[in-house]
Amino acid sequence: MLTFIIRRLIILIPTAIVVSFLIYLALDLTPGDAVSHMISPERTADPAKLAELRQKLGLDAPLVVRYWIWITGVLQGDFGYTMTGGAPISSVLASRLPATLELSGAALVLSTIIGSILGTLSALKRGSATDNILTVVGMIGVSIPEFFFGLVAIMVFALQLQWLPVGGRLLPSYSSYWDHIPNLVMPALVLSIMMTAGVMRYARSSMLDAMGREFIKTARSKGLPEWRVNLLHGFRVALTPVIVLVGFRLPMLIGGSMIVEQVFQWPGLGNLFVTSVSNKDLPVVMTVALLSVMVVLVVSLLIDVLTAVIDPRVRLGT
Amino acid sequence: MSKLKAIAVGLLLQTALTGTLSAQALNGNPLSDVRVRQAIAYAIDKDTIIATIFDGNAVRADGLLPAGPFKSPNLDPYSYNPDKARALLKEANWDPERTLEMVYYYDDQTTADLMTALQAELADVGIKMNYHLLTGDVGATLSSIPADPKGKSVVTWDLGYGARAAMVMQEYFNDYATGKASSDAYPGSPEMDALIAASNATADQDGQIAALMAIDEKINKDLISIPFYNIPLQVVESTRLSRNGEAYGNEQFNYNWGVQNWTIEPDADGKTVMYTNAGPQDNYFPVPWTDLGFFASNKLTFAHLLFAKGDLGGVAGGDLAETWTVSPDGLAVTFTLRNGLTWQDGTAITGDDVTWSIEAALKYPTLHGVLANTFNSIEGAADYIAGTAEHISGLSVDGATITLKMAKLDPNVLAAFAQFAPLPKAQFAGVDLTLLGQAPYWQHPIGSGPYVIEDAKFGDYASFTPFEGYWGGKAKIEQIIAFASQDGDKNLVKNVLAHRFDFGITKVTAEVKTLKELDFVRLTQLDIPYTRMIWVNQYDK
Repeated sequence: MLTFIIRRLIILIPTAIVVSFLIYLALDLTPGDAVSHMISPERTADPAKLAELRQKLGLDAPLVVRYWIWITGVLQGDFGYTMTGGAPISSVLASRLPATLELSGAALVLSTIIGSILGTLSALKRGSATDNILTVVGMIGVSIPEFFFGLVAIMVFALQLQWLPVGGRLLPSYSSYWDHIPNLVMPALVLSIMMTAGVMRYARSSMLDAMGREFIKTARSKGLPEWRVNLLHGFRVALTPVIVLVGFRLPMLIGGSMIVEQVFQWPGLGNLFVTSVSNKDLPVVMTVALLSVMVVLVVSLLIDVLTAVIDPRVRLGT
Repeated sequence: MSKLKAIAVGLLLQTALTGTLSAQALNGNPLSDVRVRQAIAYAIDKDTIIATIFDGNAVRADGLLPAGPFKSPNLDPYSYNPDKARALLKEANWDPERTLEMVYYYDDQTTADLMTALQAELADVGIKMNYHLLTGDVGATLSSIPADPKGKSVVTWDLGYGARAAMVMQEYFNDYATGKASSDAYPGSPEMDALIAASNATADQDGQIAALMAIDEKINKDLISIPFYNIPLQVVESTRLSRNGEAYGNEQFNYNWGVQNWTIEPDADGKTVMYTNAGPQDNYFPVPWTDLGFFASNKLTFAHLLFAKGDLGGVAGGDLAETWTVSPDGLAVTFTLRNGLTWQDGTAITGDDVTWSIEAALKYPTLHGVLANTFNSIEGAADYIAGTAEHISGLSVDGATITLKMAKLDPNVLAAFAQFAPLPKAQFAGVDLTLLGQAPYWQHPIGSGPYVIEDAKFGDYASFTPFEGYWGGKAKIEQIIAFASQDGDKNLVKNVLAHRFDFGITKVTAEVKTLKELDFVRLTQLDIPYTRMIWVNQYDK
């Protein structure tokens, strides 16, 4: 296993570099650059001065040169500076990452717990009205886009009932961490809806599969109470694939909340990413993209390793 | 004298131009034929479009200049007349198989609806038109011109839909000069160049009005561009907020708004907090020399040498400058700073800060055009920019008095200094001025205006508290919270409905319609120089 892990870690870096170059190339093919986004079309600017700025920012260099400068910096731990404002990207990430991790983490936990419970319930009540209702709810959760849920939630809970803030994360009057939890509730719930539906469908299938196994019959034949059969034998086994699914969703911690962050004015990485793409601030966009790529690659490795640990039938490296 | 000269030049050129316009294509581009441009104008039913698509929230424009003293009474309205449009096209031998390409850069639904309507109206008279939204380097796509005015167009578009948001009226027209890269896509003419020069040759307002009207009349007559409509600015205020008699004005720029005297009803905790928008969306505060009055920090944290009047049509008084003078020929300008002025960190504001700021601004790549024009008019500015002089020779400081020797008259010199925010020189030691916007200073700027930046959570909010040392007195509202937003705040209505919005602006039709229904919101409509128009690419094709 150690050999497998080392081999995968060695492959991880060139994979990240290739993927990041492809992203850089794709972004470079879109029209405009950071300087063109600094000037409103409704105003004019001195083209010579803009050319000088481009030169100072290194935007006049060929694509490969620009990419090389960026990637060599990153490999040395230097993410560079934002093009539009000059802030160190590391500090920008440090200020935005907690907000995104908090939102996505809350949504991931909520969706995992609620989805597993409802999926299991649905499986145990297979064919009943409860199962049908939960199936329909699950389909709705998967089918309707997040921004719609977000806007409806704002209309109902923020504007009509006035139970929760309309958006944003912090206010100067917040003195403790817990003060902003009301701000977190709505975006986290909205973000978790789609994720819950997925977990629910997966947990239902997994539970149905588990409940049809021989060991369940054995447990029942031994006279165990039904709740013990269901929870200790069925649910525990059914949970393994769900955990793998949740593992695959870990990369969403970085890039999965983009739309919800926009709807709820949440100052996280998703919001930063959208603004930076709009401003064509390549160093920021590339750093966030690279972070997402790295999370995906590392999580894939972790899932492979965990699967092998959980299930001895899996042989790594084959 | 200068006023008379400007009027004379304007009248002379206007007379000379009468009947000189050729009713034929001037090059291989049929849009260089005035009859085709007139046909386009006659084909567009502006009134119906304004009444329906814009829900009445726009004012028909026959010229580029806004309503008010600058508006000429002699403009042809080109009222909707599709029959006349068809006749003009027939006369111009318009090729009905030709398809015009229209470009625009607003990504809202209203503009998409407008494009559909324009396409239908043009099709009705026999003009095929396709349209698409510009993205990416919009400025370059719109403004690129051939080196030779008689050369082939370097862009593919035929018609461009956009706007001018002017601080001073000359901004509407200076870009029509020959060889000026601009979205008007007009190759220029000696007559137009002379008119533009005349409009910039006098600081006298009557003279300027006459000269500017003459240009607007020429554009209207020759349909160099097709003015469409003016959009009024709506100031959105909660009924909690009181200006206490302070003036309203063009909120897109700086004026004597007296924000330090505004008050607001206390909240449940007894604290007076005003909520607004235009807080920093990105991870820095913006340099206040580009979007002069847009961001909350630009307006609250930075003071200027002078106060503009609300309509920006003159000086309302001194801000950091207690007194100022302009010589009769307009070539010598002085500002004398008030006694005891300090930056928000307690250090003294000096004349050196002002002159350093002017020199820094000249190296700053995205300096606002009006400020650039003023600073470039100072004696020695060209040598300084070229790097042959260390400083601008026409700038000097004697105690608290700053003197500007102008190489040429700039009619907007005082208007520029009512918008230009000096910065503390000491904060920028060792900074490359081309990259001034990337200095660490912009993480937490120190200004000289009525409010200090207390705290900023970039992308979330910025908080401002009163600057105790502001020369105009300590501001009355205890805290201003500016939620992060860019121009065209998409969360404005949502925040208003949630009662966390007390002051801001909008020009968006749908937002105005919603806000008018709310009894806790006060809307104040202001006519500002903001004209939407259709640019016509007349370069050879």
